[in-house]
Amino acid sequence: MAFKPSQRSQSEDIQMDLDIRPVMNLMVVLIPLLISCAEWVKISVIEINVPPSKGPSSGGEDEDAQQDEMKEQEKRLGLKIAVVHEGITIGKAATLLEGEEGEGPTITRKEDGKYDYEKLREKLIEIKKLIAGKGFKDEDRAVLTASADIEYQVIIDIMDNIQTYENDKKEIVPLFPQVNFGSIL
Amino acid sequence: MAFRPSKSKKNLQKEQGELNMKSMMDMMTIILLFLLKSFSTEGALVTPSEELRLPVSMQIEKPKKEINVSVSKSMILVNDQVVVPSVSDIPKDMMLITPLASKLAEFANQERQLEIDVGKEFTHQINIQGDEAIPFEILFKVMFTCSKTDFYKMRLVTISKG
Repeated sequence: MAFKPSQRSQSEDIQMDLDIRPVMNLMVVLIPLLISCAEWVKISVIEINVPPSKGPSSGGEDEDAQQDEMKEQEKRLGLKIAVVHEGITIGKAATLLEGEEGEGPTITRKEDGKYDYEKLREKLIEIKKLIAGKGFKDEDRAVLTASADIEYQVIIDIMDNIQTYENDKKEIVPLFPQVNFGSIL
Repeated sequence: MAFRPSKSKKNLQKEQGELNMKSMMDMMTIILLFLLKSFSTEGALVTPSEELRLPVSMQIEKPKKEINVSVSKSMILVNDQVVVPSVSDIPKDMMLITPLASKLAEFANQERQLEIDVGKEFTHQINIQGDEAIPFEILFKVMFTCSKTDFYKMRLVTISKG
């Protein structure tokens, strides 16, 4: 016996709308919540690690003397970057790199009065390539120093420019990532 | 004489208009996604003000919640407490900022005590928030003071451009 034909084809389709009101309610609550938690300004930090200052308990005098001797034997670069009002000077522990005119800072300010960070970068990359693989213990270190009234933003800009650079293979490699601070005596 | 009530109006079929919610839903979904992307659970680390405008840098490293030293145009604060009310009063010939040093030493002792009591590691880290216009001299003195009081891992807080 054959089955009775299905009644399904004759049944009327009931068109039902999805009730989206609860979803809307959820959205209305979620959006203010997320707005309050959103971060509008991205904050970042620059790390500066200085060696811990020697406390009274650390090491005897002999140890200190020994350390000093060790330090003397190491090959050191002692790169210094000094920022003054006329421009930026690059130097070693005792010598300074002269500017193109023979006097004054290595990199003079641009005509519009801004510091020439691109040129500073170029010079430092040059130095980095020269010293690469020569066994300097402090080849990643640079001492940054400035005149007393140089603005903080300038210091930050310089640190941005001296920490990394893009080499010929378009890789980002460290330039002088360890920045220390010094003061002009 | 009063008018007769209108017959045509009485028999008029009222059409129930429905609000189309679909486009609204689309919009809400997009806003929701956008907000989720910029969602941050860390809360506000810094309170921007006219006195303290952070410098702009290209760094991408995220800050952590540590002890905050804020150097505004006029004063120095440690964790929102005024320590040096006037920056111009700092003696020129002294490297150490004495009130700041004593406050930081207090915090360092607290941290050390916490390390002994509950084993919370003393990280030696400190966040320095400086106004973009403060002179190098002040910044250097603040950093010197921090390193002298055992906070030798300094983090300069900046606004990320990249």
